[in-house]
Amino acid sequence: MLVSRRQSLRTAAALLLAGVPALEAASTQVARAADKTTLTMWWWGEQEAQGAQGWMNETIRLYEKAHPNIVINAVLQTTNGLVPSFETAAKAHRGPDIQYLWGGINSLAEAWPGYLAPISDYIPASELKHYLNTAEDTYNGKIWSAPWYTQPSFPLLYNKDDFKKAGLDPNNPPRTWDQFMAACAKLKKTGIIPIAGGLQDGFYGGWLFALLGGQNLDNAKQMMDAAIGKADITSSRYSEWWLKLAEMRDKGYWNNDIDSLQLYQAQNLFVQGKAAMTNVAGSDIRKFVKQVGINKVGVMRMPVFGTGKLANTFGSTSQTLAIPVFSQHKQEAARFIMYLHTPERMVAFYRETGSIPADDRFPQSMITLPQQKLIFNWMVKQGGPYLENFIPVELDSDGNFAGTQKLFAGDSASSVISLQASVLNKWHRTAPGEVAAFQNWANKG
Amino acid sequence: MAAARRPKGTARRIGAWLRPVPYLLPAVAAIAAIFAYPLARLVRESTQQSYGGITTDVGWSNYQFVLTDSDFITAVTHNLLLLICVPVLIVLSIFFAILLHETARGRWLYTTVLFLPYVLAVPVVSVLFNYLLQLNGGVNTVLRAFGLGVLAQDWLGSETWALPSLMGVIVWKELGFGIMLFYARTLSLPNELWEAARVDGAGWWRMHWHITLPQLRNMIEFYAVVESITMLSWVFAYVYVISSGTGGPGTSTLVTELYVYKNAFGYGTNNLNLASAASAVLFIGTVILMFVNFRVRRVELHA
Amino acid sequence: MIGQAESEKAERRSNRRFGVVVRQALLVSASALALLPLYAMLTAAFKGQNDYLAHPLSLPLPPSGAAFATAITSGFPRWLVNSVLVAGVSVFATMVFAVLAAYAFSRMPFPGRGVTFTLMISLMVVPPIVMLIPLFELMSDLNLVNTYEGVIVIYAGLMLPFSIYLLTSFFNTIPRELLEAGSIDGAGHLRALVSIVLPLALPALVTLGIVNLLWAWNELLIALVLLQDDSKKTLMVGITIFQSHNNLNVPVTMAGLLIATVPVVSLYLGGQRFFVQGLAAGAVKE
Repeated sequence: MLVSRRQSLRTAAALLLAGVPALEAASTQVARAADKTTLTMWWWGEQEAQGAQGWMNETIRLYEKAHPNIVINAVLQTTNGLVPSFETAAKAHRGPDIQYLWGGINSLAEAWPGYLAPISDYIPASELKHYLNTAEDTYNGKIWSAPWYTQPSFPLLYNKDDFKKAGLDPNNPPRTWDQFMAACAKLKKTGIIPIAGGLQDGFYGGWLFALLGGQNLDNAKQMMDAAIGKADITSSRYSEWWLKLAEMRDKGYWNNDIDSLQLYQAQNLFVQGKAAMTNVAGSDIRKFVKQVGINKVGVMRMPVFGTGKLANTFGSTSQTLAIPVFSQHKQEAARFIMYLHTPERMVAFYRETGSIPADDRFPQSMITLPQQKLIFNWMVKQGGPYLENFIPVELDSDGNFAGTQKLFAGDSASSVISLQASVLNKWHRTAPGEVAAFQNWANKG
Repeated sequence: MAAARRPKGTARRIGAWLRPVPYLLPAVAAIAAIFAYPLARLVRESTQQSYGGITTDVGWSNYQFVLTDSDFITAVTHNLLLLICVPVLIVLSIFFAILLHETARGRWLYTTVLFLPYVLAVPVVSVLFNYLLQLNGGVNTVLRAFGLGVLAQDWLGSETWALPSLMGVIVWKELGFGIMLFYARTLSLPNELWEAARVDGAGWWRMHWHITLPQLRNMIEFYAVVESITMLSWVFAYVYVISSGTGGPGTSTLVTELYVYKNAFGYGTNNLNLASAASAVLFIGTVILMFVNFRVRRVELHA
Repeated sequence: MIGQAESEKAERRSNRRFGVVVRQALLVSASALALLPLYAMLTAAFKGQNDYLAHPLSLPLPPSGAAFATAITSGFPRWLVNSVLVAGVSVFATMVFAVLAAYAFSRMPFPGRGVTFTLMISLMVVPPIVMLIPLFELMSDLNLVNTYEGVIVIYAGLMLPFSIYLLTSFFNTIPRELLEAGSIDGAGHLRALVSIVLPLALPALVTLGIVNLLWAWNELLIALVLLQDDSKKTLMVGITIFQSHNNLNVPVTMAGLLIATVPVVSLYLGGQRFFVQGLAAGAVKE
């Protein structure tokens, strides 16, 4: 999951249940006329694409103007509330008409238990084929959620001035792991933190997995094989990245408070000039470039130690919108989703958020920020699966999040590697339904 | 006359049964609705496994998993470790209550300030401490400024210190309640109580140990019960906010409430049946513990 | 030769002075520790974002109201009203039910009293999270999700075991003789409760009231799950969500927390004397 915000308590209630005694007559809700169709959308995104809320308000206003019989009610979810709220609503068969979901496993994990209606049933193929990264949302021949904006994952930003000071070429960042280690050593000598990360809220552990965990693999299926037990997750092919992280830890290349800072707080170290490098969400890059200075920020890909085909790819995923199976207005919901892909709306989205819509009709010429041009090219020319979307979510949170925390707290790499196996073991024992569906996905796609 | 007395006896017994009913009914009804029914539901769902609308009966396997899950055992252990806070709270709050009682200057100010943490909301306190306890956060900054940098630890990020730090935050907040309770109690004790001892020249510690403490016994018991329950069952908000929902680093601040929460609503799990099994275990386990505790100490029902 | 008594007095006086110094020092240190987080919150709330990042712990000079401007536009007033409503009604109901039940347990012998009482108060120890899932399902079935009533009933249910425990323990300390006066029939009990027991129980009622109000006011999880409707969110839920939306901007977050804290703290500051008097019940030496 590509989160960069800290957590809050989850909301797990369905929104639409009634009960209107006199006590609540005082509630101030705008009265909806009886003959209108109301679409409710639960979404996320402002947290990683700043400006999305404003864009959404405007989009709704325009759509309602063009369709006077439609009213759209968009509710921004918290990072931790997004999925639980939806799943609780789904179990009660009541909830939104449009649900935001991160891509890959995040969408399919809702599709498998039957919570979603396949979007390919409601958006014509001629339209869907333009949406980027539908492959990761495909199962049993259907596409289950519609890509909305891309999330190029994850660029590694570096401060060009810091590089210069350390005697590194600011226009030629390290590509191989050895070069990377050498660069970190030089940066450390100049007294700056080579790379900043924040693991206290866990999510960065998933990012690190996405960036390093698949470098010895050739495709996503090999990762899925490890999840279903066809391959051994403790074997060096799958676990070398932990050793590499431990090496970096031992050499002191990370900020010393990596375990007590949250993801975004650590990114601030880069903005404040205390760290030379940090990972950011692709959709967020414009914000960082603006804060540090367009001429100071360089972008590089995570350096490579692995020998698999995935090592040279740049993670490409899209955040999506899905239609729940219990929605009474599926076709209307689909129409609104398609509206988001109209040229004017896509251009406005890019202008307001700096984030690139997941549509090949979006004019690349609009991307002027050099850093963004770079990552867009990587995504298009060397794009590969975003690996975090191809493992069970439980492995992500109990394995990657907890494992990276433990590693940087001083635990041995081998203990953390065995943790991965025990997490998978628990998943197999306690979630047989999901395991079966995942196996199906891994084997047949 | 025996015959005349018997109906009277029966009437009295029936009277004894009926009289408390209107007094007890509202409370019992509320408690039955909020505890009994959910417990029944918990037990039923804990023996099932649901996915995609299909529910299968799985017998005791959820319980088997929970009771042998190292995470669950870790969580229970952590709650038991949190109980260490209770004697700390008792000793510190009595100490400060006595100090307050014996202080004339600024007494009102001190009591106001010392009770203030208890009044603050747990999420607020936890957010604040999440900032303050970072390796380069407020607490360590202050320590370093006073030349005590050697004491600066990674309060949040070290697996050794995360739980003690959590305990520190809980003590920080709960202390005010104890101080207030004991302080108020000392206020209601007559001054003469200590006069004799003071005139005799008794030492501070001896005097309070022999005179004040016995007077506080009931309060101590009450406070001990409340805080013990807190450590076992009412620390969710603290842990959730301070650890940013992870129970981390790793599982070093995992507690039973968070274990249930993570299995029910955690990122990627949503295994309500497993969570129900854990919940049932905790429900029944804690109630039995409490029940036995009260019976053994013979909590008095009537004067 | 100076008299023994006089030298002892002098020694006691110097001991007392020393004792005073030590006491003041300890109290000052404790107060500083108690206030440190509040200091952090206050100073951050009055800073601009950059100023905060550069100097997190310094005094905000000059102070800036920017953070408050952002914070105050959120739904704080509405959330405040909701919290007052939910906490107020549930605590009131709890107190009434608990007083009645505690009186029965304390003064009305009936078969099975012991077991029932112990069982009821043992429920104190059940972690609320454990009840969350089934309670949500129950409220869902009864169509009480997103209603004030649902939350109020749950709060009352959860506060009752502890309330009954505290009140029964206290009622037990009231001497028999005071209640023996008058015939013990139905009306007698009620009268005894209202005119004799309640006034004597003021300290317990005050303690219980404070504890319950604080609990209900600060309660987060149940309110979060059951009152998701924006117009019904309680203050705790509101600030939690507010934090998550503003977590990049510490001053704004702190300003929000401060706004949320002000009502309770003002109430506390205003009523503190009364609370202490109530708790001490009787001889208050100030």
